[in-house]
Order: sequence, then C-alpha cells, then structure tokens
Amino acid sequence: MLVQGVMGGLWHPGWRGVAFCGWRWIHPGSPARAAERVEPFLRPAWSGTGGAERGLRWLGTWKHCSLPARHPALQPPRRPKSSDPFTRAHVEEWRRRNKTTLTYVAAVAVAMLGASYAAVPLYRLYCQTTGLGGSAVAGHASDQIENMVPVKDRILKISFNADVHASLQWNFRPQQTEIYVVPGETALAFYRAKNPTDKPVIGISTYNVVPFEAGQYFNKIQCFCFEEQRLNPQEEVDMPVFFYIDPEFAEDPRMINVDLITLSYTFFEAKEGHTLPVPGYN
Amino acid sequence: MSTAMNFGTKSFQPRPPDKGSFPLDHLGECKSFKDKFMKCLYDNRFENALCRNESKEYLECRMERKLMLQEPLEKLGFGDLIGGKSEAKK
Repeated sequence: MLVQGVMGGLWHPGWRGVAFCGWRWIHPGSPARAAERVEPFLRPAWSGTGGAERGLRWLGTWKHCSLPARHPALQPPRRPKSSDPFTRAHVEEWRRRNKTTLTYVAAVAVAMLGASYAAVPLYRLYCQTTGLGGSAVAGHASDQIENMVPVKDRILKISFNADVHASLQWNFRPQQTEIYVVPGETALAFYRAKNPTDKPVIGISTYNVVPFEAGQYFNKIQCFCFEEQRLNPQEEVDMPVFFYIDPEFAEDPRMINVDLITLSYTFFEAKEGHTLPVPGYN
Repeated sequence: MSTAMNFGTKSFQPRPPDKGSFPLDHLGECKSFKDKFMKCLYDNRFENALCRNESKEYLECRMERKLMLQEPLEKLGFGDLIGGKSEAKK
C-alpha cells in the first residue's frame, strides 16, 4: 500500500526525473530490465501529452539520472580479475607500445632542437644566395660598374654630413655640402680632416646612409672608412669617397619619392682594444 | 648609428667599400687635381655629370702616385670618357 501511494504521488508529470528514479527504487530485488523500464510509460495512467513515443524518447535520458540511492542488491556484481579483459599480456603490450611512442616523441624533440641550431648557418647561406636583407651578394660589383648605364632622367641630390666622436679632436668636415648625381654614374666627393693637436691621432670611421632603404643602393667603390687613418700633428688631409648609386634604384617603386640621400660619416678615435663594429672587412 | 637596441626594425648595415680604403694623401701630391675638381663643382652648381673629367684626372693622379691600386678606367665607370679623352682633356 505504501508502494502504491508513493507510486501515485511520484507519478506526477512534473516530477518525471525523480519519479523514474523513484520507480526503480520502489521495486527492490528486481534487476533493472528493459521491459520493466518501459512498462510505466505504456500504462494508461501516464498522463503525459505525448504518449508512448515521448516516453520512449525520454527513455534515452534514463542514463543521465544519477542514482545516489542505489540499493546494494541492485548493483551488478563485480567480475573477478581472472576474467578481466585487461590481462597481463595486454598490459605488457601497451607498455611496449608506450615506450616506442615515447622514443619517437623524444627523437622528434631532439630533431627539432637540432634543426633550430642548424637554421642559423642555413639562413645565412640562403641570404647570401638570394641577397635578401641587404647582405652582400658575392661577385657583382666591378663587372656591374663597367656595364652600367646612367639613368639620366633621375637626378638625385646627395648631401654630406660629417661627425666626430666627442673624444676625437679632429676637425672633420665635408668639402661640398651636396652633389647632384644620377643612378649609374660614379661620383667623387671629398672630406677634409685636420688634426689640431700636437700628438698623432689615429681615427677610424664608419658611415650611415639616410633614408634607410636607399642605403642598399649606395655603393662605395673606395673611401676612407673602416680603416685606421693616422693624422700627424697639425696635419690636414683630403679624404675622397668614390661611389655610385645602383641603376636599379630607378626601378624600385619604394624609391619613387626619394630625391635626397644623405651620407654621413662619423670618426672615432681608434684606441687599443677598442674595436669598431666593422662589417667583416679584410 | 646602428647601435640601436630595437630588434623589430631593420638596422643599417654598413658595407665595406668594394675596392677598399683610400690611403691618405699625406703629402698632398694630388691636391692640385682635387682643387681643380672642387672648383669645377662650385662653378657647375655641384653637378657631378659635368665634372667627371676632373674626377677621372684625380683618380689617375692617385694611381700614378701609388695612392690607389691601378684599375682600368672602364671599371671605375669612366668608359665613356676614355674614347673622347683626347678631345676633352684640357
């Protein structure tokens, strides 16, 4: 009677989830078999609006109903270890396979590490062959000068700038403020340096070209940079720069608005043990 | 200079000159040629194309005085001036 009362009370449509769990609990001793699960839905007392189909659809949600109050007698008995599908042979097999996989993964990791080390010289080689990034492309200079044709309709103004490091007491200045060249034409320009002190001074210079992208077209045939230059006391010398602008400058679309290129030289004092970052020269 | 610590942007890479460095003209042996060249530049409003003869002569002076390695003038870009050298030379 209690059973009947509980059944009726719990068989409210709104309590569907709980009811089904309750239903299972109410009938102790009988294992949960499919037929018994289906039966309540087929009863006429089921006042649901969909009938049997709806009930059967809901049957699928039976799995989500967690059963906190499982009756111990209802649970399926645990199978003994001897009939356990994960036998020792299987376990050994898995262990072996795991080890192989681990070996492969470790090999891939080491290969990646090796590749990252090898990338440095490989990239340098790639840059040298393709000439990307402004790095020196081997063996094109002197033949090119011979055969290059000046692009006469593109006049460029090269302005000159001279700087001296604070510790160097030379008077260093350009002898012309600007010069008008065209790409493909070799040009000569002069700087002057004077040593007003009473001691010989050794200086070393480097240069810079502005704008940056135009710098790759600025080729110096000969100049006075990157080598130690010694000036005796009170000596004044002329320092020439012989250069040209690569004719390909005229074909570069990024250079279309560039009319002014500034060449800037900076002199430093050459001291013992003090090295200027010269670009792999000699 | 190219001592900036900006890793994202490309920094300027100075390149060594193709034929190396000019030895200094301590004795001023080619000073007259240089003065002629500078005067030409001043007169022609710093147009290099009009003063190429003078620059060629300066470099020839240097080569004679061993202040520069001997190079055929075509390799220095003066190929067009060699043909008319006898006419254009002052």
